[in-house]
Amino acid sequence: MDLTAIGAALAVFTGLGAGVGIGLATSKATDAVARQPEADGKIMKLLLLGCALAEATAIYGFVVAIMILFT
Amino acid sequence: MNIKELLNEILLKDKAFIHMPFGEGRFDIYESVVVTWIIMAVILILLLILTRDFKVHNISKRQAAVESFVLWLRGLVDGMLGEEAARYTDYISTVLLYLAVSNMIGLFGFIPPTMDINVTAALSLMSIILVEAAGIRKKGVLKWLKGFTEPMAIITPMNILELAIRPLSLCMRLFGNIIGATVIMELIKHVLPVFLPVPFCLYFDIFDGLIQAYVFVFLTSLYIKEAVE
Amino acid sequence: MLEFSPINIICIVANLLILYAIFKIFLFKRVDDILLKRQEEVDEATKAADIATAKALETKKEYENKIALADEEKEQILADIKKQGYDEYERIVSDARKKGDQILTEARHNAEVENERAKEVYAAQITDMVIDAASKIAATKHSAADDRKLYEKFISEAGVDNE
Repeated sequence: MDLTAIGAALAVFTGLGAGVGIGLATSKATDAVARQPEADGKIMKLLLLGCALAEATAIYGFVVAIMILFT
Repeated sequence: MNIKELLNEILLKDKAFIHMPFGEGRFDIYESVVVTWIIMAVILILLLILTRDFKVHNISKRQAAVESFVLWLRGLVDGMLGEEAARYTDYISTVLLYLAVSNMIGLFGFIPPTMDINVTAALSLMSIILVEAAGIRKKGVLKWLKGFTEPMAIITPMNILELAIRPLSLCMRLFGNIIGATVIMELIKHVLPVFLPVPFCLYFDIFDGLIQAYVFVFLTSLYIKEAVE
Repeated sequence: MLEFSPINIICIVANLLILYAIFKIFLFKRVDDILLKRQEEVDEATKAADIATAKALETKKEYENKIALADEEKEQILADIKKQGYDEYERIVSDARKKGDQILTEARHNAEVENERAKEVYAAQITDMVIDAASKIAATKHSAADDRKLYEKFISEAGVDNE
């Protein structure tokens, strides 16, 4: 049984955390914009920054999966 | 060719561009270094053309555009760095421009230099050296060493570990994003016919590349700001 | 895929430093020079403007001083003229008074002279009458007592007439 495929599949599970985290962040951001529409420039900047930082963990899982598959 | 061969070709090919005749392969120059040289040459020529003769009054449109671009860039970086660390603006804006260009150079057919882990490792190494040097210059060696025990003495191992973890996370984040973008672009180009990959290309290459460059620079300047106060 | 090769890392670090130098020399220094020159020109212009306004304020103060002096002179001239007018009035009035006094004394003097003359005329008349009486008496009897009685009677009558 070739366990590399299962290992790579398990490695991509980190995407779950990133998805949930970014979803929560976006919901709070839309709440904040609804509460104060004139601050939406700053809120969007913060949101993009937070998403890029939270996506890092998902990317780590992707890189590990690629490494398992190809080396 | 199927997917596996495609990915093999991208990820595992021999990256040595210039083979040195000595040292049995340890001194080969990789492609990413050559692409960086090309980027540097292009930027040099562009700057020479753009800043040809600058006048004080009665400026041409090109000069006005260049001046406003520099002022915008400086405003952005100064906002991130704060007031105390204002002497590092030049280096940070250099890194920002280099990353922005090199993440997008996939559009022109070269492989992005940041797809090589050596490049990202070099960038994060320079960032961490800059952060610690800023801290030492501001506070002096003894107080900097004492800063490892703040806010409580129990956290000292975490603080020392953070010295190594921060550059690692920066490096891996950048590398993973760019290599993921390239791999998925190749897959999409293989799956979909001629012109449909264009919006994906726009998202992955341009948007993602710019955001990753900004995040890298933002985190570095955040660390510098934290170390200087 | 994840091979580190130190020579490449060193090369990239060197490339980054060269890129930093390129940016600093060709872009930032030139733009900074232009901005500095512009800032200096603006500073000089504001300084010149400050000096000009200071000078303008000074000249304005001088003019105000001059106008104040002119006002004073005007007041002084007016006061002088008024004083001259009063002096003339006083002089004319005193002249008139003196002349009036003079006329009064002259008139009194004239009246006294007239009085004296009138007295002399009366005295002459009285001597005439006395001569008459004497001639009358000489035509009648000469007794001393009678003469004396006639004289006294005549003189008392002449005195009554005169009074």
